[in-house]
Formats: sequence, C-alpha cells, structure tokens
Amino acid sequence: MPSIASSLLSESTAEALLPSAFRVISRHSETPDTVTLGLESEDGKEVPFAPGQFMMFYVFGIGEVPISISSDPQSTGTLLHTVRSVGAVTKAVVDLQIGDRVGLRGPYGVGWPVAAAEGNDLLVAAGGIGLAPLRPVVFDVLARRDRFGAVSVIYGARSPADLLFVEELHTWRSRFDMEFEVTVDRSDETWHGDVGVVTGLLPRVSFDPTRTVAMLCGPEIMMKVVANEVTKRGVAPENIYVSVERNMKCAIGFCGHCQFGADFMCRNGPVLPYSRLGDRLRVPEL
Amino acid sequence: MNLQSMRESSELLTRLSNTELEFFESVSRETHLANGQILFEEGGPADSFFIVSKGKIGLEMTSPGMAAMVIQTLGPGDLVGVSCFFPPHRWNWRARAMEDTDLIVFDAVEVRRMCDVNRDLALEVLGVVAEEVVRRLHGTRIQLLDLYRST
Repeated sequence: MPSIASSLLSESTAEALLPSAFRVISRHSETPDTVTLGLESEDGKEVPFAPGQFMMFYVFGIGEVPISISSDPQSTGTLLHTVRSVGAVTKAVVDLQIGDRVGLRGPYGVGWPVAAAEGNDLLVAAGGIGLAPLRPVVFDVLARRDRFGAVSVIYGARSPADLLFVEELHTWRSRFDMEFEVTVDRSDETWHGDVGVVTGLLPRVSFDPTRTVAMLCGPEIMMKVVANEVTKRGVAPENIYVSVERNMKCAIGFCGHCQFGADFMCRNGPVLPYSRLGDRLRVPEL
Repeated sequence: MNLQSMRESSELLTRLSNTELEFFESVSRETHLANGQILFEEGGPADSFFIVSKGKIGLEMTSPGMAAMVIQTLGPGDLVGVSCFFPPHRWNWRARAMEDTDLIVFDAVEVRRMCDVNRDLALEVLGVVAEEVVRRLHGTRIQLLDLYRST
C-alpha cells in the first residue's frame, strides 16, 4: 500500500478527487422530501457500478455528499440517485431541476455480494430510504433470477406516503418468482396493507436459513433488530450484510472522516458483514 | 377442528403436548370473516382468542371524530386476542378483517378454566402469551423511535 505522502503526490489520487460534469435529465418526486434524479455525463461516458456503491455528488458552491446509486446496474448510461432532503447539501440536490449541472465522482466503495450470493436464498430487508441502495440488487437478481434460490424482499416505511418506487413495488408484488412484503409504522385510511415493524414480516417470507444471504439497509437500529431476528432464525452472521455510512469526504480511504472502528467505510464499506460490524453497532456514539 | 396441520405456523400450538392439543381442539372451531367485518369491539368481553389461518386482522384504535387507526396487523399463525388471558377480560382494541380471513376460534373461558386446574398447561400458555406480548412491546418501542424519519 502506498504511503500517505506518496498518495498525496500521485496523479491518480488527484484524478479520483476530481468531479466530472453531469446533467440532470429526469426528476421524479418519490415523496414530498425525496426525489429520484436521472443523471447523464456531459462527455457521454458510461459509469459501470456494482449494486451498493455510491457516488460523491457535488452541488457547485454548496458542497459534496455521498449518495448511493439506485438504478439498474445494466443501465450504465443514466445514473439514478434517490435523495432525501435532510441537510443543506441534500436539500440542494433535491431542489435540482432537469437541465441543472452537478459534479459527480465515483463509483466508490464495496457493494452488496450479489455474485457471491448466487446459488443461495436471498433475503433483502430495507427500511425507509434504505431501499434505494438495495434497488439495484433487486434489478440485478431479477435479471438472472434462475441463479438464485428463494428471493424475498421485505420493506418497512414510516407511512404509506413515505413509500418509495411505488410502481415497482406493485410490479415486485405481482411476480411469482419472488416474495415481497411491505409494512408501515403508521397507517392511514388509504392503507390496507400491514402495520408494524419490519421484523414482523419475516414469518411471511420463506428462506432456508442454512443457505440464505441477507442484505439489510436502513436506520442502524432497524438493521440491528433485523440482523438479530434473522440470526435467531438460523442465518449465520457472516451471511448477513449491512450498509453503514459515516461522514464520507474523500471517498477513497484517504482522509479518515468516515472511520468506523477499524474500517474506513468509504473504502472497506459501505457494505460489510454483520459478523464484522455487529459489535460496533452496539457502541454509543461510535 | 384438526389443529395438527397448523402446528408449525403457530408458536402456541407448537408448544402444546399431544394431549393438550386434543383439549384445544375440543374447544375450538373455524370461522371466516369477510373483508371489513369486525372480529371484536373495544370494551367487549374477551371470552375467545384466535389464531389466523389465512388473511389479515387489523387491530384498530377508534375515537370519535377521527377515522379508525390501524395500529398493528396480524397474519397467518399470529395469535389474536391476548386480552382474554388477563383480567378484566375485556378487549383493548377493535379487531377487523383487512381482507377475507380464516381464523381458528378458541373458547377462552374453557381454556382459563383448564389452566386453573392444570398448572403445567397454564405455564405453557402464559409463557407463549408473555413472549408474544414482549415481541409486541419491542415492536412498539421500535415504532415509537420513528426511525425512518431521519434516515
């Protein structure tokens, strides 16, 4: 591994920190505070990525944030990013309109082990906006469905109005080759589906714990609760993967802002096995 | 009513011995609710409990001036009506079928009577009910954290 000093001088490091110009070519409001933006490179370059990877998203004059890619990995010409407004930069991202210009660099990080999961049952558990980084997994798996055993997706949201990718949820639910269950914490009169925590959906989907790979993304408490429940049902912690983000700045394991225990989450993560991160998720304020 | 086939999907039935299961069979029957039909109303006498075999039951909080609010849904294998195991044996919520639903109905008065004379059975039943109540409390705590708002 090169020393920090030599990395500082390397041309490739400087290159990695330089954003490329992209334009917003589509904008879909998922909820009042969440949008999915379609972005294309101004120089026409494609961006191959693995499900679970993220891009550094630079809104000129405002700042840079890491945002997971939510599109189909087969469609590398247009990147989709699903963003919720939670701070100054993400608000600026959510406010972008078609034709606006932004800087992107990436993709970065280690994604979901989709290829390694082939031949196994797959359990995908998403909470809130955590569905966005898992959406490419579902696309990828359904594109080569015959290589997997049982495929189940469970999804928890705050309320019916907070559900993302609603059209796709209907499509997934209507498929005969996967199980899809959704629940909300708070219902309203329009909702005829499940109400309760996402772990309550686990008995509704079928998987063989001895040959299941679980992929979890959502609030860390939610991932911990689901991981514990899935472990109780017999899935080995090393087969449970979680996506954990920290304060990613450089995105290349250089600045250390995203250190979480022994890992720089931008480089070693964001996706890591629960067997490696589980203990850290119990440490307050780590 | 043959409960043997439902044994795997229900925590309560899984725990029972064959003799106990025979007793539960003797105090049970099947019932069907159409979508929207009320299973029980808040405040009513809790003299039965149920296991969902197909469909979905919503536990609802009702209040004048507002639409009924579903606070939890229960599906296949789930126990409905834990209030019947504890005094004053009154329903805390309204329960309504959220789709066409099949249930096994158990006579709670008979089960409570049997538990009074068979302490092993009482421990078994209350153990399962306590676990269910803990699971629901745990779920409620997670919901109260409102985790998805800030992700």
